[in-house]
Amino acid sequence: MEGRRPSARMRLMLAVTGVLWGGAVVGGMTALARYSHTAGPSAEPPARFPEDSALRPTPGRFLLVMLAHPRCPCTRASLAELQEVMERAGPRVDAHVLFLHPERADAAWEEGPLWQRAAAIPGVTVRQDEGGVEAQRFGATTSGHVLLFDAGGHLRFSGGITGSRGHEGNNAGRASVEALVMQEEGRSQHPVYGCALEDPQPLLAGSQRP
Amino acid sequence: MSTAAVECTPEQRLEERTGRLFTQHQQEVWRRVDRLFAGLMGAQWVFAIALALFVSPYSWEGRARELHLHVYMAVGLGGALNAFPICLVWLRPGSALTRHVVAISQMLWSALLIHLTGGRIETHFHIFGSLAFLAFYRDWPVLLSASGVVAVDHVLRGLYLPESIYGVDSIQGWRFLEHVFWVATMDLVLIRSCTGGKWEMRQMAERQAIAELASEREHAKSIELDRALQELCAAQAQAIRVEKLAAVGQLAASVGHELRNPLAAVRNAHTYLAKRLAKPEQAVGDARVPQLLGLMDRELGNCARIISDLLDFARERPLLLQPCPLRPLVEEAIGVVPPRESVSVLNQVPEQLPVPMLDREQFRQVLINLVQNAVEAIPAERAGQVVVRAEEGGEGSLCLRVVDDGEGIPANVLPHIFEPLFTTKARGTGLGLAIVASRVQRHGGSLNVSSQRGQGSEFIIQLPGAAARAA
Repeated sequence: MEGRRPSARMRLMLAVTGVLWGGAVVGGMTALARYSHTAGPSAEPPARFPEDSALRPTPGRFLLVMLAHPRCPCTRASLAELQEVMERAGPRVDAHVLFLHPERADAAWEEGPLWQRAAAIPGVTVRQDEGGVEAQRFGATTSGHVLLFDAGGHLRFSGGITGSRGHEGNNAGRASVEALVMQEEGRSQHPVYGCALEDPQPLLAGSQRP
Repeated sequence: MSTAAVECTPEQRLEERTGRLFTQHQQEVWRRVDRLFAGLMGAQWVFAIALALFVSPYSWEGRARELHLHVYMAVGLGGALNAFPICLVWLRPGSALTRHVVAISQMLWSALLIHLTGGRIETHFHIFGSLAFLAFYRDWPVLLSASGVVAVDHVLRGLYLPESIYGVDSIQGWRFLEHVFWVATMDLVLIRSCTGGKWEMRQMAERQAIAELASEREHAKSIELDRALQELCAAQAQAIRVEKLAAVGQLAASVGHELRNPLAAVRNAHTYLAKRLAKPEQAVGDARVPQLLGLMDRELGNCARIISDLLDFARERPLLLQPCPLRPLVEEAIGVVPPRESVSVLNQVPEQLPVPMLDREQFRQVLINLVQNAVEAIPAERAGQVVVRAEEGGEGSLCLRVVDDGEGIPANVLPHIFEPLFTTKARGTGLGLAIVASRVQRHGGSLNVSSQRGQGSEFIIQLPGAAARAA
């Protein structure tokens, strides 16, 4: 027994409402999935380690550089994946996380929870990227972009190490970095998911700061 | 439209009642769980918004920031996820549609929360927790709807976004089965629990139905018993009336017989006196005239007594209860009984007894009859004693005793002494003790007698608390 059987009009209303509800839910889920899986814009990374970079590679060791936005919530997942990489391949890699410090931003603008999280990963050196200069040198435009250079300074990998925006878990990017460090086959590129490192348009002097 | 009443067997009635109780209980469970989920979904919505604001409030482009899509989705998509199931819980609680929409919505909540927490493995337990909650419905198809959402999500992601779920970017056609397997295993356990719960509900319904039907049967029996009792009382009253009528008929015959002799004697005396009084000079010196006048007076007295007893027995006016202290009433009754030289009558009723509620006139007559019988029970050739005693019984009841040391009542006579018109006296009507018994009974009391040949008799009146309560 399920109470009174609804009238034909009520059934039609329920069906229409159900279809609309289903449409709204599927639409919302699709929008969420599209947002998560939309990679940031890619620029041309350097084929060799840039000489003018402030970083100094250690001979005979891989050098891993991650360019990060200090306030991007998606970068939390990139750092979690970096921790996985360092746990597996730490002894072979020197890792640096360069946090963007935009021009005219407050002092210590970048030193937030993400900075502390990165600094807590063994084998990782955290640095400030004043004005996003290093990001430009490495051709990174999206937070969480990782570049892996071999002992000879050749670029072996460029891209993100998360499967989607802000999501932790196994993904081809991280797997490639781990494989390459272990002298195995791995892909050289992977989409980067995260916030943009550059302003959408140059901010005017005196405009409101975040 | 007339319908022919179909007589159900007890088994059919039990089955029908069990089914009805089971369905009723199931509806209550479904409605309760519907409300539980409505509350849970509201809480999930609040949690999702708080989570989005805490974990990912803004997305950034350099120094520019804007509210993160997660916040919009937590508010908008979360609200949309809740809207339809909560409306159904409100409009159609307990319906199958509501349950299945709640199940689908709950699993989509798992997907949204997993997304908002950045795919944390811990949040995946929300799926299994939700399945366990859905098992509260005790309706296993609901679990299939929920699991269907998980399966469809995994199939679509495996085809279009394999990396988001398997961590590799190549299409994983059948890999969804690995994930679905664990959900299915959970489902199997929960389905077993659902069917077990349902079976227990059915058992409970059957037990309740058995108890209710037994109670109904007992109630019906009780009604039948009441009806039978009423019929019995009516039959008894009728029997008493008939008995009384028969007694009155017998009495009329007896009275006819009893009155004929005195009336014949009176008529003879009257005829004689009429002849004598026709010649007054002859009547003055006639010694028989005063004799005959005395005879007429005696015989008319007998007639009056016979008629008075008959009326006392036949008439039953309502009791006029009033507080009656026993000792003075006994004293009054003793005063009315004609005294005998050799018989002493003692009133040993204590003064401090509770005052009973009695019909004063009728109870006085009861005492007069008992005391007079006791006096008459003592043989004329010897002295004797009659004692009236009383004591308080339990719960305010009173016990009154009229004791004599007369000849006692023969064992073969004892069972009949309260029967109307039964008498061993030469000039008795046989109505005295019948009247006494009837009046004591009408006061809610009982009358008993114990007697031993040559030792005397004891008449015991027990008055209950209601009749013996203090005024």
